Amino acid sequence: MKNEAIKELLYKMADDQLVLGHRNSEWNGLGPILEEDIAFSSMAQDKIGQSLEFYSILNEMGEKDPDTIAFTRKADKFKCCQYVEHPIGEYDFSLVRHFFFDYADYHRFELLKNSKVERIAMAAKKFQSESKYHIMHANAWMKQLGNSDVSIERMQNCLNEGIALALGIFEPSPMENVLIEEGVFEGEKKLSERWLSSIQSILSKTELSMPDISTAPINGGRQGKHTPHLQPLLDEMSEVFSIDPEAEW
Amino acid sequence: MYGGGNSFEDVYDKELKHEDPEQLAEFEARIERGEKIESTDWMPELYRTQLIRMIEQHAHSEIIGSLPEGTWITRAPGFKRKLALMAKVQDEVGHAQLLYAAAETLGKSREDMITDLINGKSKYSNIFNYPAFTWADSCFISWLVDAGAIVNQIANSKGSYAPYCRALERICAEEAFHLKYGHHCVIHLATGSPVQRQMMQEAVNRWWKPMVHFFGPPDKDSVHTRILMKWKVKMASNDECRNQFFDMYVPKIWELGLEIPDPNLKKDPETGIWNYSDPDWSEFKRVINGDGPCNKERLAVRRIAEERGLWVRQALKSPKATYTTPLA
Amino acid sequence: MESLDPRVGRLGIPENWGTLEPKSNLDQLETFEVFSIMKENKPFTHVGIVHAPDEEMALVFAKEQYGRRDSTLAMCIANSSNVLVSPFTDNNQNLYDFLEPSKALEDSVSEYQVFHLYKRGKQHQHVGEAEGKGYEDALNRAKEQYDGSKPVLNIWLIKSEHLLSTDEEDAQIWATTPEKKFREATDYRAADKIKRFKQEKA
Repeated sequence: MKNEAIKELLYKMADDQLVLGHRNSEWNGLGPILEEDIAFSSMAQDKIGQSLEFYSILNEMGEKDPDTIAFTRKADKFKCCQYVEHPIGEYDFSLVRHFFFDYADYHRFELLKNSKVERIAMAAKKFQSESKYHIMHANAWMKQLGNSDVSIERMQNCLNEGIALALGIFEPSPMENVLIEEGVFEGEKKLSERWLSSIQSILSKTELSMPDISTAPINGGRQGKHTPHLQPLLDEMSEVFSIDPEAEW
Repeated sequence: MYGGGNSFEDVYDKELKHEDPEQLAEFEARIERGEKIESTDWMPELYRTQLIRMIEQHAHSEIIGSLPEGTWITRAPGFKRKLALMAKVQDEVGHAQLLYAAAETLGKSREDMITDLINGKSKYSNIFNYPAFTWADSCFISWLVDAGAIVNQIANSKGSYAPYCRALERICAEEAFHLKYGHHCVIHLATGSPVQRQMMQEAVNRWWKPMVHFFGPPDKDSVHTRILMKWKVKMASNDECRNQFFDMYVPKIWELGLEIPDPNLKKDPETGIWNYSDPDWSEFKRVINGDGPCNKERLAVRRIAEERGLWVRQALKSPKATYTTPLA
Repeated sequence: MESLDPRVGRLGIPENWGTLEPKSNLDQLETFEVFSIMKENKPFTHVGIVHAPDEEMALVFAKEQYGRRDSTLAMCIANSSNVLVSPFTDNNQNLYDFLEPSKALEDSVSEYQVFHLYKRGKQHQHVGEAEGKGYEDALNRAKEQYDGSKPVLNIWLIKSEHLLSTDEEDAQIWATTPEKKFREATDYRAADKIKRFKQEKA
């Protein structure tokens, strides 16, 4: 029971990181400023690296190897939230998603540092140092674009339209109670509270207003229900791999 | 990544007539002594314009060069390849940033350079106007196009202009990763399943001609660059670079059982010079003048990227901001 | 526009892209000089520039452009327009030998950070602070403190208040960089594979 719950947690974290890292890598070479292109790519690489680590832990727990898990599963086996599946859109959409998602990450790792599963606690500690840069980056951008007449409206729209998806990050997993009881993870509710306070604090330094958090979250991802965007993303990602999944590439 | 030839205009000594002979002598003596020129030193106008032209082309080649490999960035097979290709494409963008900065020290802003690129006024390495049809094409680029670029860049890093040398020092260090990664990919395909092998062989067939073009036309047909070689702007001739590339990499391609589609490719044991078939230099000229398979797409993508980023840059721009030329 | 790159397909480039307006000159952001410390007990060394809208963003950009490989312990940035640049000498000539005593003294004392260049083509390195009543005075103070055995070819002075540095707490953002072996050549060894291939063929 406990192992299944831990696996569920690892799968959802890994799938989130993989899918968002993949999405964000689409900007590489096409970003708005060279320096930002580089920074955004690094953060995408961090995410792919984090997903690899979580899949590796799963592998140690008896699941298949990371490449097979990542490159051969169908969409309905993925446990990522729906927010990460959406196409990159314009840079405002990608930045707001980065702001919402990476703050959730930062606090998730903060909570997981105290996990009773040592392997997870160690990974979380390591990744929080990466995450710290991610939120520095997000803060700098929100302050810039949230205080310029050119961009305030665009950013506000993305916040308003993104909030329901962002709240879907915190959709409780079916076995979450086990995790809380066993001291593995303190749960999505606690996480979302911390997240909310950070989001509020950063937005208060801008001309942007807090989006309506009473909006109903867009859930489903944690149960394998996804948008039509996910399967094509996975097909694209595995196009070469699936020519011969047994081969060494 | 950057190729040699065809980056220079005809340059004649008579263009120096208006320069102060004393300053010119001092400048040339400094280069002769092996000292580097820094951005605030006196320099002949011709040195400045030719350097801007060269470094700018190099920078454009990096940013455009990120596109053919970028074609496969979302489809790299497996974690190891996915991470590496992301890091490699990122490095190309990083190299563009470093090189634009080096060119900026000579007085042309990055914006002006990018504008000239997008409006078709500046050139970049011809090879990036060819499409990457399969994953194996991206592997060919990572290994061999980068290998060619390294031959060229290592030569250039011994040039006379300090800011360019500093940028190249950093770039060459990063290229070591590109080269090894690319070789690793090609080794895996060439020694892999029949499907993988065939994929790799087809990529070699497609890319060999552009690869020979990469170093520019033979020296006998090249423009007048004597003075640029004296000033250590152009550091090695096209034929020298091409021959060095053949010397270092043809045996490595052959050892993987891959065939190179040129029956005449052979090293003369007496002279150490490689013979090769005429790779159709008219195609090279056609492509560099805009009529290659991907010229339009490359510039369109770059332009759309700039246009989609326009609001971002406008939002960041403060009315008080003033542009300063980088110092070094 | 149809492309082999699925990303380009999604950019929605119109088929008649050639009729788009030629790109006009856009904005050019400010320039920041970047310095970093790569090893314990080594000084801040110039690594390059970034273009950015402000100091905070410059540091965010510099972190990845100049610190995504190897180890970095600290980084600092200064707006290029705030860097006071001396003339250059030739190799083996010491700039400090050519200094004139400063004439114009400002009323108040400022603290400057001093950077030396020891060889053309190399990077400027931080040597310490110098207080002075203005630029010239600070240069003369720097001479008293830092004119050593090696000739100094060029000096940058930056008022301390114009430098923004990462603090100790920030240093953890580089913690995992050395572990990212996928960015290193050493992670791609395959000599065994070639050897085996050749043996099988023989």
